[in-house]
Amino acid sequence: MSQPGVMDTTVKERAGLALNDDFLRKAVKFTTERLRNGKKSASEEHGNWDEWRERGRQIRLHTIAHLDYYLNEFVNNARANGVHIHFADTSVEAAAIALDIAAHKQASTVVKSKSMVSEEVHLNHVLESAGIEAIETDLGEYIIQLAGEAPSHIVIPAIHKNRYQIAELLSKEAGEILEPDTTVLAGFVRKKLREKFLEADIGMTGCNFAIAETGSMVLFENEGNARMVSTVPRTQITLMGMERIIPSWTDLEVMATLLPRSATGQKLTMYMSGITGPRRTADADGPDEMHIIIVDNGRSLQLGDPEFQELLNCIRCGACLNACPVYRHIGGHAYGGTYSGPIGAVLTPALNGNIDEWNDIAGASSLCGACYEACPVKIPLHDMLVYLRRRKVEDGHGNKMESMGMKGFAAVVSNSKSFSAAIRLGQIGQKAVVRNNGISLKLGPLKGWNNYRVAPSLAKKSFRQQWNKLDQELNEKQRAMDSSVRSRMEQIIREREEGEGKKHGH
Amino acid sequence: MVTEHQQWLAQLEKKSIEKQEQFMNDIASKLRRPRQRQAPTQPFRGAPDFWTELEWDEEKRIQAFTDNFVSVGAHIARVKNMEEVSQFIANKSRELSARYIIRQNEQALKDLGLEEQLPEVQISVWNSQADENWKARAAEADIGVVMADYATAYTGSVTVLSSPEKGRSVSLLPTVLIIIIPVHRLYTRLGETLDRFDEVGRENLPAGIHFISGPSRSSDIENDLTIGVHGPGIVYGLIMG
Repeated sequence: MSQPGVMDTTVKERAGLALNDDFLRKAVKFTTERLRNGKKSASEEHGNWDEWRERGRQIRLHTIAHLDYYLNEFVNNARANGVHIHFADTSVEAAAIALDIAAHKQASTVVKSKSMVSEEVHLNHVLESAGIEAIETDLGEYIIQLAGEAPSHIVIPAIHKNRYQIAELLSKEAGEILEPDTTVLAGFVRKKLREKFLEADIGMTGCNFAIAETGSMVLFENEGNARMVSTVPRTQITLMGMERIIPSWTDLEVMATLLPRSATGQKLTMYMSGITGPRRTADADGPDEMHIIIVDNGRSLQLGDPEFQELLNCIRCGACLNACPVYRHIGGHAYGGTYSGPIGAVLTPALNGNIDEWNDIAGASSLCGACYEACPVKIPLHDMLVYLRRRKVEDGHGNKMESMGMKGFAAVVSNSKSFSAAIRLGQIGQKAVVRNNGISLKLGPLKGWNNYRVAPSLAKKSFRQQWNKLDQELNEKQRAMDSSVRSRMEQIIREREEGEGKKHGH
Repeated sequence: MVTEHQQWLAQLEKKSIEKQEQFMNDIASKLRRPRQRQAPTQPFRGAPDFWTELEWDEEKRIQAFTDNFVSVGAHIARVKNMEEVSQFIANKSRELSARYIIRQNEQALKDLGLEEQLPEVQISVWNSQADENWKARAAEADIGVVMADYATAYTGSVTVLSSPEKGRSVSLLPTVLIIIIPVHRLYTRLGETLDRFDEVGRENLPAGIHFISGPSRSSDIENDLTIGVHGPGIVYGLIMG
């Protein structure tokens, strides 16, 4: 589902909406902490976590580096299994293919299990405008579909709704008042969707992994709805990102070790299904006809880009969202794209190939590196956010006031006299505005910063003002620098100077 | 009608094969090298070496499987043989007042003699005759009975493979699922089961391979755990032997 008009507002405005919603903030904080703690204990209990991460990274790196081979293998093997394969360069093309199949099947109802690609493609919208009912069957996705909203978390999409809001939505659907009780609400959804599974013409799934050597697709889930949509309807359509490939089943053990633990802290999701083609002729269930739509939609733009190729290693666990202090504060909708959190902040502009339209979400990060620490395949997301910001500035989309401010700052601090003068001025000037050792004044240059934080007050005596005294104290104890240390430091400085030219040449 | 549909599929196939070349060439050119036509050597394949050496004795496997299975809300019973399995299912069926049971079409399950034990229950056998809506029979069943093909102690998971005699629906649609796990099919690591699928190769894989680690669940409403959202809400694992 798309969020109408999301591009018209800035991440700050959208975060403003999120920050004002007290429940959302509490719910996001609670859920992300629960998931984060679950991941922490699951990875600690499993042990050797960094070795597993490294193994996961290596497998993903290798596969992406040879993606033409492995994807081609997958396609040939899946076809040999009887799967109809389609390629879509863009989201529009992917939606058109899915719609074409649905139309040829004269489908009136499509049941869907969770698929982030289908969100990218805005598939529900496309199907509905063709008069085909598209029903999300993941409990959380079903709820937000009824609400007409987009997922706010990659693993727990309805994280922002409380059970009273959910009861209201489901009561409308039921035509009777349902108690705001989880068991009652889930019971209603089970009954309602059961009917839909059995009557639907088409089941639609995403794809967590695709195994090149056997042409199989793998789904991880807890509810059983992905099994439903791939078992009961006569036609199955799977939307798959072109980078979902792993070479073999034995590699799946590594992914199955990393993904559930990172997503929810589980040793394995309740269901992990490997589907190899449509039903065999003598089987009595499984789809008669199976289609896999392989979607590029900007993914291939990352190939060969040394700064962003590793983005394709992502296994969509959501651990970076749960680890991110900014996500925990503003929630998923503030990011404005299909993917939220640190991965969304990088992936959205990367997939769209246009930094300027999404020029603010790379700023929605404190660059603390918690996302990298959490990532089960070690994607350096915090570095990528810096690359994005650099590209944005290089492309002339920087903030002019900020640039002017930085230039002014440089002019003042590059001269020790003007720097000292500025500090003294600040020490005198701040007396009027310091409260509790901090400055919360939201005027002038402090407005942007102090909207969200309290600026620290300047020390009574700055480091520089104390320097003469410190220097004297140090000199009393100082001995000549060890010559090997000195030469090493000089070496570092030389290398740094030589490296200066290369640094921006990536 | 059918032929028209098949023509359309054939058309799509042709388009897809043409597009495939272009798609792969595009990937290779973006990777700035010629097409990779030969299988590249994987520097790292599968789990780390220290992991593949892990193997627990039978007692540890049973204990770990039990702990994991129970921790997610599933139930475990130890049984000595198929007679005890039969007794367990009959008792459970009476306790829950089951009216419909569906089982896979396997000899071992036939030998349970559930029909004689439970004359009041309508027992269907998956895909045992043509012209029956087997998905509907599974959907209405109170209890589904399946044999585990493999099980993994480390994750508390059971693996079931589909075949004409073994429906995917039988472990999915009934309200209660009873899985019989012969102890010699219980292994330590997930990889011990997964590696088999590489070994047998594409042509010999079934359409559906399902790892089941407990009851269907969701935490989508206020993080409150709900059991049985879509799949079976009550799951029994009977470790036999």
